[in-house]
Amino acid sequence: MDRMEESLQNNNPTAKAFTLTSAAWFALATSFGMIAAGYLIAPDFMANIEFIHFGRARPMHVNAVLFGFVTPGLLAAAFYFIPRLLRTELYSHKLGVFNAIFWNITVLSGMIGISFGYTQGREYAELPWPVDIMVVISFTLVVINLLLTVRNRVEPILYVSIWYGMAAVILTACTYCIGNVIWKPDTGALVGIPDAILLWFYGHNIFGLLLTPLALAAAYYVLPIETRSPLYSHTLSLIGFWSLIVVYTHIGTHHLLQVPVPTWLKTISIVDSIAMVIPVMVVLINLWLTVKGKLGAIHASIPAKFIFTGTIFYFFVNIQGSMMALPVVQRITHFNNWVVGHAHIGVFGFAGVTALGALYFILPRITNKPLYSKFLADLQYWLVLIGITGFAIVLTIVGLIQGNAWYNGETLYRTLPEIQPYYVLRASLGAFIMIGAYLGLYNIIRTLYFNRGAST
Amino acid sequence: MYYPYFIAYMASGFVISLVIFFWALNKGQFNNQQRARFLALESHAAAGPIKLSRKGRLHAVILLIMASAGLVTSMIAVTLIVLNLVG
Repeated sequence: MDRMEESLQNNNPTAKAFTLTSAAWFALATSFGMIAAGYLIAPDFMANIEFIHFGRARPMHVNAVLFGFVTPGLLAAAFYFIPRLLRTELYSHKLGVFNAIFWNITVLSGMIGISFGYTQGREYAELPWPVDIMVVISFTLVVINLLLTVRNRVEPILYVSIWYGMAAVILTACTYCIGNVIWKPDTGALVGIPDAILLWFYGHNIFGLLLTPLALAAAYYVLPIETRSPLYSHTLSLIGFWSLIVVYTHIGTHHLLQVPVPTWLKTISIVDSIAMVIPVMVVLINLWLTVKGKLGAIHASIPAKFIFTGTIFYFFVNIQGSMMALPVVQRITHFNNWVVGHAHIGVFGFAGVTALGALYFILPRITNKPLYSKFLADLQYWLVLIGITGFAIVLTIVGLIQGNAWYNGETLYRTLPEIQPYYVLRASLGAFIMIGAYLGLYNIIRTLYFNRGAST
Repeated sequence: MYYPYFIAYMASGFVISLVIFFWALNKGQFNNQQRARFLALESHAAAGPIKLSRKGRLHAVILLIMASAGLVTSMIAVTLIVLNLVG
């Protein structure tokens, strides 16, 4: 092992810090989700505790998942694989560790702010203005660190994971500013329909231009290594990357087909939503052909099985998303739990599960020791898989019940008893995911700090 | 009038994407694609052989069945919605 290899393997405090961040916020975020699920079963659940009533627990859950769990988890992996692919060291680990600490202060401030009622009241953009600024600073620090690492590279060719990773953080640093209207600190919003357009431009791009490219970057890195197979086609992967950048940016308006948004914008959003089949299938065909004949190998590896499962959910969420953008389908599927199910499949089933796989991939490599417990990781995998699959089924059914009831003019009080059992099921399945999150946190803390396993 | 701002933003994004694309083209990023396929593998010391198990294969089959069932269910739901609404 040469000096560079040794240095890259043993010294990655930045990846360690983001790994711990992700694991801790996963546990907290699912706890907030459980509280919110409790309110859906019993509306007077914890009725007297204003800091965590439903209107606050839900945005706390959503923001903790997006910015506390999934993004830092995927960034931990990026801080590991980007220097390795470029055959250089991260520009600054001091900056990286500071970044991770600042990131935690940011997310914590957001949670405290929302729990005290400070919210901008826009979906996915609830964080109050000072926290918005902190989020932008956090992303800017990531961009600086990674961009300067790219500049110092020894390897001239940028592997597809670098393209995806860099695009994710650079685009989000810009999109976050614009989507949160940070030049208007008093409201964090425009007025009327333009605000709705801007909000969904931002909201959808958080998934499509932050979580998706970061998760695909991890998948493109981990799956070839874990299956000992070269990537099927690097050219195809770049076609997938560029088509995602061109197509994804404009699809957010498909959330606004029932409102007076200009028709040309609606048309663009629908056409591009359908066109998303191109970048998604390019990625999936490429990844699946890379691991063709290696399914046994995938399921012998904890990281690979998480990430491969993530690709299946990616396929599923994209097919759903393209169909849901059709106005005739949306009459039934929009404004109900179908969309909530769709969001869970995308953010958690695809990006979150991929983040977990990426964390389990880098953990032995950044600690130079084996994972504390493969059994716990495997148990977490099954808990998460059962939880998210059940979520998808239950929320889809609830969505169809609600959508049809609304379409047929049924009154709300007749619908609520019909969906009550599904809400109980939903909370039960959420418990699977939450238990998995706490098991993962324990496993990761033991691996990072209290691991007596022999050095690898 | 807010459209000009949105159109300007979308256009600037498109132009920046083109600039980066042509930078990559000029820097030869799209030249040696065969070598690029191996970059992830090259970034790691050779790992040992993979330990396979029958349970692992069974697991893959179960996952495939679950995904297919989910997809088929979703397709049926959407088809029924479309038939119901259009019909």
